Amino acid sequence: MSEHNKLNRREFLKSSALLGGTTLLAGSAFSGCSIFERAENNDLTPEEFYELCKPENILYTTCMNCNTGCAIKTKFVDGVLVKVDGNPFSPWTMTPHIDYKHDPTKPEIAKLDGAICPKGQAGIQILYDPYRIRKVLKRTGKRGEGKFKSIPFDQAVKEIVDGGRIFADVPGEESRNVDGLNEIYKLRDRDLGNRMGADVENIKNGTMSVAQFKEKYRNNLDVLIDPDHPDLGPKNNQLVFNWGRMKAGRSQFVQRFINQSFGTNNRHGHTTVCQGSLYFACKAMSEQYTNGKWGGGQKFYWQADTGNSEFIIFVGSNAFEGGYGPPLRTSKITNGLTERSLKFAVVDPRLGKLGGMAWKWIPAEPGTEAALALAMTRWIIDNGRYDKTYLSATNKPASDQVGEPNWSNAAWLVKIDSEGRPGDFLRASEIGLGGDRFVALQNGRATALSPREGAAVFGDLLVDTILNGIRVKSSIQLLKESAEEHTIREWADICGIRERDIVDLAREFTSHGKKAAADIHRGVSQHTNGYYGVSAWMNLNLLIGNIGWKGGMSQPSTYGATSGAYPVMSMHSDPASPFGTSIIRHDEHYEKSTLFNGYPARRPWYPLASDIYQEVIPSIGDAYPYPVKALILYMGAPNYSLPAGDKLNEILSDTEKLPLFISNDITIGATSLYADYIFPDGTYFERWEFHGSHPNVTSKVQPVRTPVITPLVDTCNVYGEEMPMTLESMLMGFAENLDLPGFGPDGFGPGQKLTHFDHFYLKMAANIAAQDGGLPEASDEEMRIFRESRRHIAGHTFDEKRWSDSAGERWWKQVVYMLNRGGRFQGYDDSYNGEKLANAYDRQVNIYHEKTARSTNSMTGLPIPGIARHSIPSDSLGRPLQDKEMGYNLRLNTFRQGVQTKSRTNVAYWLLAIHPTNYILINRITANELGYSDGDMVKLTSLTNPDGIWDLGAQGKRPVAGKLKVIEGIRPGTVMFSLGFGQWANGASDMVVDGQVIKKDDRRGRGIHANAVMGIDPHLKNTCLTDPVGASAVFYDTHVKLEAFEGELV
Amino acid sequence: MEIKNSITRQNGISVVEEEGDLRKILGLDDSPKPEKTTENNRKRFLKQALTLLGTGALSMSAMVTQGLAAIEENPDNPGENFLESAVSFSESELENVIVRMQKELQRAMQKPMEERKWVMVIDLRKCTGCGACTVSCIAENHLPPGVVYRPVIEEELGSYPNVSMRSIPRPCMQCETAPCVPVCPVKATWIRPDGIVDMDYDQCIGCRYCMTACPYHARTFDFGYNYTDNTPEVQPYEKVGNFEYGKRWDREGHHSSPVGNVRKCHFCTHKLDAGMLPSCVTTCIGYATYFGDSNDPESLVSELISRPNKMRLKQEMGTKPRVYYLT
Repeated sequence: MSEHNKLNRREFLKSSALLGGTTLLAGSAFSGCSIFERAENNDLTPEEFYELCKPENILYTTCMNCNTGCAIKTKFVDGVLVKVDGNPFSPWTMTPHIDYKHDPTKPEIAKLDGAICPKGQAGIQILYDPYRIRKVLKRTGKRGEGKFKSIPFDQAVKEIVDGGRIFADVPGEESRNVDGLNEIYKLRDRDLGNRMGADVENIKNGTMSVAQFKEKYRNNLDVLIDPDHPDLGPKNNQLVFNWGRMKAGRSQFVQRFINQSFGTNNRHGHTTVCQGSLYFACKAMSEQYTNGKWGGGQKFYWQADTGNSEFIIFVGSNAFEGGYGPPLRTSKITNGLTERSLKFAVVDPRLGKLGGMAWKWIPAEPGTEAALALAMTRWIIDNGRYDKTYLSATNKPASDQVGEPNWSNAAWLVKIDSEGRPGDFLRASEIGLGGDRFVALQNGRATALSPREGAAVFGDLLVDTILNGIRVKSSIQLLKESAEEHTIREWADICGIRERDIVDLAREFTSHGKKAAADIHRGVSQHTNGYYGVSAWMNLNLLIGNIGWKGGMSQPSTYGATSGAYPVMSMHSDPASPFGTSIIRHDEHYEKSTLFNGYPARRPWYPLASDIYQEVIPSIGDAYPYPVKALILYMGAPNYSLPAGDKLNEILSDTEKLPLFISNDITIGATSLYADYIFPDGTYFERWEFHGSHPNVTSKVQPVRTPVITPLVDTCNVYGEEMPMTLESMLMGFAENLDLPGFGPDGFGPGQKLTHFDHFYLKMAANIAAQDGGLPEASDEEMRIFRESRRHIAGHTFDEKRWSDSAGERWWKQVVYMLNRGGRFQGYDDSYNGEKLANAYDRQVNIYHEKTARSTNSMTGLPIPGIARHSIPSDSLGRPLQDKEMGYNLRLNTFRQGVQTKSRTNVAYWLLAIHPTNYILINRITANELGYSDGDMVKLTSLTNPDGIWDLGAQGKRPVAGKLKVIEGIRPGTVMFSLGFGQWANGASDMVVDGQVIKKDDRRGRGIHANAVMGIDPHLKNTCLTDPVGASAVFYDTHVKLEAFEGELV
Repeated sequence: MEIKNSITRQNGISVVEEEGDLRKILGLDDSPKPEKTTENNRKRFLKQALTLLGTGALSMSAMVTQGLAAIEENPDNPGENFLESAVSFSESELENVIVRMQKELQRAMQKPMEERKWVMVIDLRKCTGCGACTVSCIAENHLPPGVVYRPVIEEELGSYPNVSMRSIPRPCMQCETAPCVPVCPVKATWIRPDGIVDMDYDQCIGCRYCMTACPYHARTFDFGYNYTDNTPEVQPYEKVGNFEYGKRWDREGHHSSPVGNVRKCHFCTHKLDAGMLPSCVTTCIGYATYFGDSNDPESLVSELISRPNKMRLKQEMGTKPRVYYLT
């Protein structure tokens, strides 16, 4: 025993010496006697022996096994990542978190671990996934067939840039000519681009005709996609970059390549598949009126200050298993329960772990979220239980006067047209008060107000009157009228719940002052009426005036990474100004486009949303508004993640519709499977990012993701530098071959090189450190630990000189101080200012959304309402969904288990050890009615997928089938499945690489993924149902049928 | 603490003992009362330990004595640095139960082993069944497929619409009268003076009698599988050593421990020795698991187990578990 033991220790010492550990140990704090001698003598103290308690073996970084992005400690033995724990400096993983000033090199701090969820623990298995790709793969079979060969990085880059007959060896594509990036990068003259872009605006504003434009640029029309529609922009727009998950750092790097250097307008994320309408409704609620325009709305939302709330209603928000919850919020809730300081209710068709501990579980009918909120609104207004002081403050001077952190437009007056429809706000000039100001009734007198200056104006709340012959109502009056569309009893029937529950909720919600919160998430937003459901619930928060208050609603607050020491986005040698309509037609009004041709539009336009995931590939399929020549997909699996994602496979498989498809992924993933080229990437343990925050984190923060290990991918050479093959080196390879400005020896400007991604990211790290007066400098001991803890990382990824040169000497030691703590985190006590949040939202909040009300639905031609209201699920043409009436009797819903995210985590075997598969959940009552039992195999079918199949193109067809699990904690008439299972790629199917079959692992393909039966928009036919306003991809408005299934599952 | 460490590391001592109950060997009372830690106690313990070792474990004694001598010679042994409170925490930081329990643990580790009694308290009102503890334990102790120290059992209670959920983590109960101990034919498992049911992989012959004897199914067998078997490549995190029982156990193949052994939860003794809380405790996102010394009246666990809502599993079997549940 002892021999065995000794031998291992000797071996360890030898190997750590090889890795440069000698210096570390010799110079360590254990200076009393030689650790070597004592190790040889089998005489190490337990803490010397236990490798995982030593600061030299610990690196702080940020998790991304889901988007919560918890700060973590990664722990190494012999350079192998063996353990992940929570970072006690971070409010994500310790409550309250420890002071930032503590020294992480001190043993007591190094030994202090925070909490982290099972997914975070199992991140090790994402890093060490045996199915990871390490070289560039190129397709050798049909798209989706799963046949690839590995090719050199340089060859892949050159083929993609130069194009040509690059698939000549693929049967059927011998003569197919592909336009490379060099061909797509057509508009290179920045000055010409700027002038054309400005004139396109003139066309939209009606001050220039297309004919005039064509005449003016007659020598340059070849750079445009379509000279008859200059507003579609340059051919550069035919390169689309689409991603599934990207945070600050990479986001700016990609923006630099895609927008600033390549000059395409098409860089789109995935927001709408997550909680688009939550973001875009709150964006509308946070729009500010400045210089005659609404702008500056933040793509964000509010969540409860969980730890200090006395009452929370979670609506479609599963804080124990998803919703940016588990490590951040669980202990705040559970402590609240045992300390009896928190009561909470859960509105969700599924009980789940959160509902299972709630004071009240209210399984309301999905899709009626606005109805429930409006019912509560009605009771609250009828009973006068709303915060009149807060709501009456119409502007900042007024809110300052009453000590509120922000103000609302509750008392602002809205003009009502002859049909009773609300339109614009009344302007003071319209009633002779002058100026571009708004109006409220103050003690019955029309009073002009400015949002942020002038006199404090306190408005009367419930106003319905006529001023100067103009019918006006206050914003809150409009809300009241939405709430009065039904009695509380009727609302209860619509929601399928008891009237008593509504009253209980409303009474409790209004019994805690500002320490109550309505905390909502996907369950509200992913409906065709998501925008209004979100608005209705957020308005409830306004009614009690809790935004910015301790125990009320909190906004995210971060140390930004783009300014402070280096303005990285303006440090560009020759930036382009992209112009033209995006492929997803976002932030644009159809009516202003030269494509306008009456209603409905060919596909929807989204004036109030962006990052509309479900529109990217279907729009490519329809070549609307123009054909796309190349798609780069990064960290995305849209055909898996999106409702009706199977419809994408047909488009992705079609080389006519999508001539060139490049994916950047860590495995051959669900969508990468269809790509022409797959470039390998580093996992989140192997790269940089600045993850940002979530609304329920009240501290100002910036968790930093740094490479903690040598990336397990091959390296490449770009701009003369060796780099791991990651997203960055792929883009830099393209940039080098295209000779794009903004990268290379003069990328940041003359003599300022951007030849390694570190040059970019360390500047951003310096920015975070430099803000708010900077940070302390790392001590010598901290510098030593910083180096030693990275002794296992190769020079192409960690090189102190390159890092410090990039950050700059002035900032370097501050950056080290920050990285040694995993980011920058404001102290817990500093996050509160008495009863208010220190980082409180401090601008206007809109109950009535004038900007929204000024927009038109591009499919129906109808104005988009600007006030929360109840509506029934409908399609893109506004027609109510018919599936229930046609016999599809069960509503389909999804949920998240805490051990899985959507598409990437079910490769982690430790998680599969806990829950090896998923089920179709059904209530006992419903199962009995339909004659099914627990464990029965069933297939799901729907109106738009009546055969219940997944069409995977070249991979064949699979049934949408799984095992029933009969439970009590689900609304009768509903079936649900958890996301993450039922994979067909990521090692779940056999693949052929270099002629060798890579055998699948059946554990990775278990369970059911039923997105394929989710409703397809009956008019558009190739994308899912969508909220026409907030653009959410709709997960929860489909009805299905069960069929007994007797076939084989893959 | 050095002494304790020497003993745990040389856990072969049980081989020479007939009863296999270390507390008896040390002449301690079956149910020890809280005792104040004094220098005298520490010395007495030293003496007892030495006596014990001198009587039989000849093959081990040289090494142990050497270890003890080193301590005597070097009273400022740097290994005790962690016990010094080098870091001062603010009041709001100390409100954090993890910070508090880590400090309490480090205080307890300054006492001789027989003067501390570890208990774990699991508040079922706070457990959400997330599985963090299960996976953290797997990672910490490099548990292969089939081996689990801390499963969490989830159950739904009631019927629609009056339904709730309960989750029950089930670590080893570290029973005071552990049924697994007497059945071991080779005395590879025993109860430590601090209450932890210890075992020696090198002595264990893998007969699995203890698995059958345990009423909680807290023991599982290591068949030598890997999670990445039958994939393109077995991954390094499965091979590199863990630190259970203060030793490094590389998984080198089918013939070296812990492969072929029965395995069980040990409250992360290797972490306790280093002044750290068990992994399931720190990783709990609901702060539902507490750990500490029940002999310390100031400890959080002492407060918790005095409450009326505490319970233990299968108390009727007389196992006297050291794991308490709050309901």
